[in-house]
Amino acid sequence: MKRMFTSIAVAGAVAGGLAVSFSADAARAAGPTDQDIQKDAETPGDVLTYGMGLQGQRHSTLKTINTETIKKMVPVWAFSFGGEKQRGQESQPLVHDGVIYVTGSYSRLFALDARTGEKKWQYDARLPEGIMPCCDVVNRGAAILGDKVYFGTLDARLVALNKDTGKVVWNKKVADYQAGYSMTAAPIIVNGKIITGNSGGEFGVVGAVEARDAETGELVWTRPTVEGNMGTLNGKESTMTGTKNASWTGDLWQTGGGATWLGGTYDAETNSIFFGTGNPAPWNSHLRPGDNLYTSSTLAINPDNGEIKWHFQTTPHDGWDFDGVNEFISFDLKKDGKVIKAGAKADRNGYFFVIDRTNGKLQSATPFVTQTSWATGFDLKTGRPIYNDANRPPNPMDGGGAAAGQGKPIFAAPSFLGGKNWMPMAYSPDTDLFYVPANEWGMDIWNEAITYKKGAAYLGAGFTIKPLFDDYIGALRAIDPKTGKIVWEYKNPAPLWGGVLTTAGNLVFTGTPEGYLKAFDAKTGAEVWKFNTGSGIVGSPITWEMDGEQYVSIVSGWGGAVPLWGGEVAKKVKDINQGGMLWVFKLPKA
Amino acid sequence: MGRLDVPRFGVRRFCGAMLAVMIGAADPAGATETDPFRSVMWDDMRALVLGDAPFRFDDRVKVTAPASAEDALNVPVAVDATALGAVERIAVFADMNPIPRILDYRPIAARPTIALRLKLQQATAIRAAALTPDGVWHVGGVFVDAAGGGCTSPALAHGDPTWERHLGEVQARAWPAVQASAEGQSKSTRLRLRVRHPMDTGLAPGIPAFFIETLVVRDGDGRELARIDSHEPVSENPVFTVEVTPPADGRALLVTGRDNNGTEIRASVPLAWRQSSLETSTR
Repeated sequence: MKRMFTSIAVAGAVAGGLAVSFSADAARAAGPTDQDIQKDAETPGDVLTYGMGLQGQRHSTLKTINTETIKKMVPVWAFSFGGEKQRGQESQPLVHDGVIYVTGSYSRLFALDARTGEKKWQYDARLPEGIMPCCDVVNRGAAILGDKVYFGTLDARLVALNKDTGKVVWNKKVADYQAGYSMTAAPIIVNGKIITGNSGGEFGVVGAVEARDAETGELVWTRPTVEGNMGTLNGKESTMTGTKNASWTGDLWQTGGGATWLGGTYDAETNSIFFGTGNPAPWNSHLRPGDNLYTSSTLAINPDNGEIKWHFQTTPHDGWDFDGVNEFISFDLKKDGKVIKAGAKADRNGYFFVIDRTNGKLQSATPFVTQTSWATGFDLKTGRPIYNDANRPPNPMDGGGAAAGQGKPIFAAPSFLGGKNWMPMAYSPDTDLFYVPANEWGMDIWNEAITYKKGAAYLGAGFTIKPLFDDYIGALRAIDPKTGKIVWEYKNPAPLWGGVLTTAGNLVFTGTPEGYLKAFDAKTGAEVWKFNTGSGIVGSPITWEMDGEQYVSIVSGWGGAVPLWGGEVAKKVKDINQGGMLWVFKLPKA
Repeated sequence: MGRLDVPRFGVRRFCGAMLAVMIGAADPAGATETDPFRSVMWDDMRALVLGDAPFRFDDRVKVTAPASAEDALNVPVAVDATALGAVERIAVFADMNPIPRILDYRPIAARPTIALRLKLQQATAIRAAALTPDGVWHVGGVFVDAAGGGCTSPALAHGDPTWERHLGEVQARAWPAVQASAEGQSKSTRLRLRVRHPMDTGLAPGIPAFFIETLVVRDGDGRELARIDSHEPVSENPVFTVEVTPPADGRALLVTGRDNNGTEIRASVPLAWRQSSLETSTR
């Protein structure tokens, strides 16, 4: 096959006048196509997307490794990311044509031989000294199309590299890192466009979703997430996001937050991309009356022009740092004899949402953690939370704080790190269950006065973090989307911070900060296998088939936001050593 | 010209096997030439830079540098191959540098001469190989003593938190240059340019390789006049001097380039008003 593609490229060059359009086709032919990407979830021979399919279900049809055979699963090889840069490794690898593409901390990308672990090439972005990632120097993964692989860097750039050589093809500035922007999420590719979010929510940036031509890197459209800001299409202003000052006062929409720092998913049936948006800025909610649209929301966006189709705001007028960024996973909800085109999201605010993905209408919202002190539930008619007003951190103007200018502290749960943070859940169409990596913790939180200053943290709040239970913080929970009921749970001493994978082999995989990659029976939650990778796991596992055998891979390397906070949580994690290693497993040959 | 009368004792015996592997059984022109610097690295350099192409050591390729590198991070080197007549490429390299290749210069509409500053890791021969249209490389060089450490030290930019703001900025000036030649006088334009760039070698701990890969000088119509493909050992904030021959009525030179992270470099350099342009337009 490779030889054939080479000859096509030569023919294109010889054709002269045709060379420009033809070479673009040849570039596509040299690697995965848009169709390959759309079908990723159905093709177990590769992993072409973050989420193992654009819908993000993180489900594989492979079942050679199952609850019985997994007991024999062993490592095949491991690869060290090396250097002195062993920080949080939150990446999910991609696999194409016998090559693994995996990103590392500090904006690095590695291409490895999937059979041997031998390095083919490595790209290290030269980062400026002043980068401002809020929560460790992580990267969550790459994207691939044609002859290029793509990833975002901590100085808010999007880089396209030749997948065979690692040479930079183009490098586009997405936003100004000196204003606090960065890029940590994996891009997604939909019909030749590479679509990205941005990071920097704690610095008063304005969130945005952007689509570029994947071949050239030229901008196609932008969609700011905060009401009042103007979108663009093909270099011209398109439409305003929402209505200016409808849910914001004054000019606060110019520094309103809503960063799209976890990227998005795509559903071909409705031709919608789903991006979650971060918390509004600043944290002190008394400074910004109103719902503060579209922060802490899920947005359904038309990938062709960047127009918002619908939105669902999970935490209107957030006051607890409840980002709404979490992945929205499309699935078929089989309920009362009907099939509803639905999507689900386990939110920072502790609620598991099932939403009609054709129109954004709320189907159910049920807590997936033991305490949601801020709200007693959701009104299914209005789609709004029923607030517990006494649990909103009070206005510092009313006094009552430990020092002048501080508001009265309250205890709220979940904590600012959320009932679930960035780590993606998985959905199995075999069991019809969602597998949610949750954490049980709360916080003391109080508001403070704050004014916006470019490039400085824009919080206006102080906080601690506290576990709710002595014996565990992390809890992997299997949730039935029809009822919201928790079918089984696995409790983990340290907070869970890694992604989840489920397979047709009746398995659920996730990693723990204690270093284990663990496998569970998808129906019962019984732990069936574990392996210690030598450092904490905060990455997302994958599986694929190669040469007739099923492989499993996970990145190990402790870090992320958890070790940045002290208090009682630190006791559970302070002794975990850092790392930076890709592990690959399979069954021994009979 | 190199001569054959210098015995090569240990070097030859030591490298014999390796040489045979590297160049196979072929014995192309120049294989029997003796390196005037008797460098232990010559056979490797030859394989790396020249491959199997014929070559000869040739004093007409002049490489000028200080006898001792006062500042190993900024060693000024000038290469002049104009005595050869037409030249297609000039490769500059240093035998003992951990990254030996320094740059590859293509004087498309330019005189075959280039000056630059480079980093030296230790005392070494600095060489320039000029390729003439007959396919033969002509190799000249100079030996430079050095205290060492140029390539493994962090760039000064590493201690400056603001370097990224000025990344890729170009300072340049062009002025007329007149050379006496057998046919009388010939005119060219001397261009000196400096680009702000850390030029990290990747050998300093914790700092990835980050360097300008390509700089192209074009005339006002976009035609390439000269092309520099540079490597890691070129000094931080590279300074190059070349002599190009733009059209007589040219108003500006365009400099474009790119580093290995994909950063685009672009600058326009105004050309001084010249009497000759008036002569051309009124003729």
